[in-house]
Amino acid sequence: MKGNELFNLQELLSRQKLLICFSGPFSHSVIEELGKAVRNHLENERIEKSAIMDVFSVYVEQAQNVRNYTASREALGRPIPANSGIVVIGKEGDHYVVSSGNLVEADDVPGLSAMLEKLRGLDKAGLKAVYKEQSRKPREPGASGAGLGLIDMARKATRPLEYSLRAVDDAYFFFSLEVQL
Amino acid sequence: MDSLRIEATSCSPLIDFDPAAGLLRIEGESYPENSFDFYAPVFSWLEEYLKDPAPAVVLDIGLSYLNTSSIKCMIDVLEMLDGAHQKGQTVSVRWHYDSDNDRALDMAEEFAEDVSLPFEILAH
Repeated sequence: MKGNELFNLQELLSRQKLLICFSGPFSHSVIEELGKAVRNHLENERIEKSAIMDVFSVYVEQAQNVRNYTASREALGRPIPANSGIVVIGKEGDHYVVSSGNLVEADDVPGLSAMLEKLRGLDKAGLKAVYKEQSRKPREPGASGAGLGLIDMARKATRPLEYSLRAVDDAYFFFSLEVQL
Repeated sequence: MDSLRIEATSCSPLIDFDPAAGLLRIEGESYPENSFDFYAPVFSWLEEYLKDPAPAVVLDIGLSYLNTSSIKCMIDVLEMLDGAHQKGQTVSVRWHYDSDNDRALDMAEEFAEDVSLPFEILAH
């Protein structure tokens, strides 16, 4: 990347109070190492342990969602082009904000937005009920997750989950998710 | 029956199950690459063990962090033990947490809500 492009990128990123930004193919070791770095950083900030764990756990759920989704499409023989996701942890005022973005297949968009709209409309008690219901369901064969990640993030968030789905071409949408803690 | 021991890593917990003593220990953090693969040997060991367990079985859990797919696995482990309890076997859970980590306490309380076996939550 050329020097002036790097400068612009860095300037854009530093306008947010950024803790960490990663873009590229997510492997388990990348997720683990970045997670350690985030925790070390937050421990040095002397914030409460519960707040550190909230940021860390939302980061892990987002990063593992991106990785699992990408891996599942690969397993189906439909690898995602430009196999890369992004995760960003920053601070807005007193709140930590954990965001992620990745390409999703157009066919998955209606289900994803219906799920997010449902979660956005629920209060704490409603989210807990949905969480309990989902956690008791038998695991779907072949599923890499338990279907609890988004619900868990919504429960930890201090405002409804923000998301966007933008068409990239006929086959893919860019899905972004923002969780404020 | 053989004991089951899986050493901890930075993202998966220690599993240390002693069948004769009835002491089952899970300790550490749990967000492995694939939780269901990681816990598969735990499920199959427990399924076999609970057919003819020690007179008293205690599961000691010291998990400071679980990702959601590990939470699902832990619910399944607790349901297996709860099933044994409902059949009249003596089974209990002791959940240990670090007293300055409120989230670990919230999590323990939610696990306890869904089972009927004796479930102690202990601060350290």
